[in-house]
Amino acid sequence: MTRAEAVALVLSRLPEDDVVVAADGAISREAYRAHDRLRTFYMLGSMGQVASIALGLATTRPERVVALDGDGNLLMGFGGIAMVGGLKPANLFHVVLDNGCYATTGGQPALSRQVDLAAAAAAAGYRWARRCERGEDAGAAVDAWLAAPGPAFLNLVVEAADPAPAPRVPMTPEEMAERVRAALAR
Amino acid sequence: MSASRRLDALRAAGVEYVAGVPCSYLKKFFAGCRELPPAAFLPAVREDHAVAACVGAWLGGRRALAAMQNSGLGYCLEVLTSLHLMCGVPLPMVVSDRGDPSDYEEHRILGQRTRQLFDLFAIPWRAARPGAEEEDARWLVETAERERRPAVLLVGKEADA
Repeated sequence: MTRAEAVALVLSRLPEDDVVVAADGAISREAYRAHDRLRTFYMLGSMGQVASIALGLATTRPERVVALDGDGNLLMGFGGIAMVGGLKPANLFHVVLDNGCYATTGGQPALSRQVDLAAAAAAAGYRWARRCERGEDAGAAVDAWLAAPGPAFLNLVVEAADPAPAPRVPMTPEEMAERVRAALAR
Repeated sequence: MSASRRLDALRAAGVEYVAGVPCSYLKKFFAGCRELPPAAFLPAVREDHAVAACVGAWLGGRRALAAMQNSGLGYCLEVLTSLHLMCGVPLPMVVSDRGDPSDYEEHRILGQRTRQLFDLFAIPWRAARPGAEEEDARWLVETAERERRPAVLLVGKEADA
């Protein structure tokens, strides 16, 4: 399963009310291409802050908040899982699309093949944390994750190959932020 | 009334959510924060996570404030530039003003350039005046909202309140 297919799979399982924080780089672009939603915040920079932004949303909103994260991104801001695990917002659902490398910058290897991300999330205090290795199991894994008690963490292993890069999201940064804020204010 | 006159003033000025990392110059402020309900205060593990969480809270409709020691500003720069400044997100900030020549060595290099750092990124700031907590709070919240960017209240050792 490619990362783009995994992004599309996760988004296909979410009702429109859910709030999504999409990691900067390829994950945001693939999320936009797969299924643009008024309640998806597309990050452009601030690598390492997906869980922190999602935590700020989850503690101020009643809806489910989904953090659509990458493995290199998670490792850069590893303290984020300590805050989520420690504070335990029940409406925060964290998925890491794990390709084992920094795909956006040329495929340099990341340490995610040496660090068990799901075990780290469980140790930090997430109520549910699993790793899914095989593409054919991904659909069931996503369903189990979304049905689990939150905060819940799914480490979804995907292929490193990036056969069809997605274009940049055609909105200004201000529009991306204002659109989500306005959608949540309605 | 909380343990912090400054926090009370900021809440009266509209602040609904605080994320931060403590500083010994902000003891009263963080003592007040500990009395807030869990949904209104995030004890962050590092300053960049605090300001990023404030973006989430703002997207969720809350007026969010970040509080920290000035030594944490370096960690925050990427988030302040690629979220708040780039997306037009207001962020009132309470930042301690460590680093004068009598302060410990580890506070001096960044501490003595804190004002220049804000000026470099066109972030409005003012030094907190003891006894003027209410007026400083209104300036901080109104400036961040009006300019849709971070604004900073620098709190020196004598201004903890």
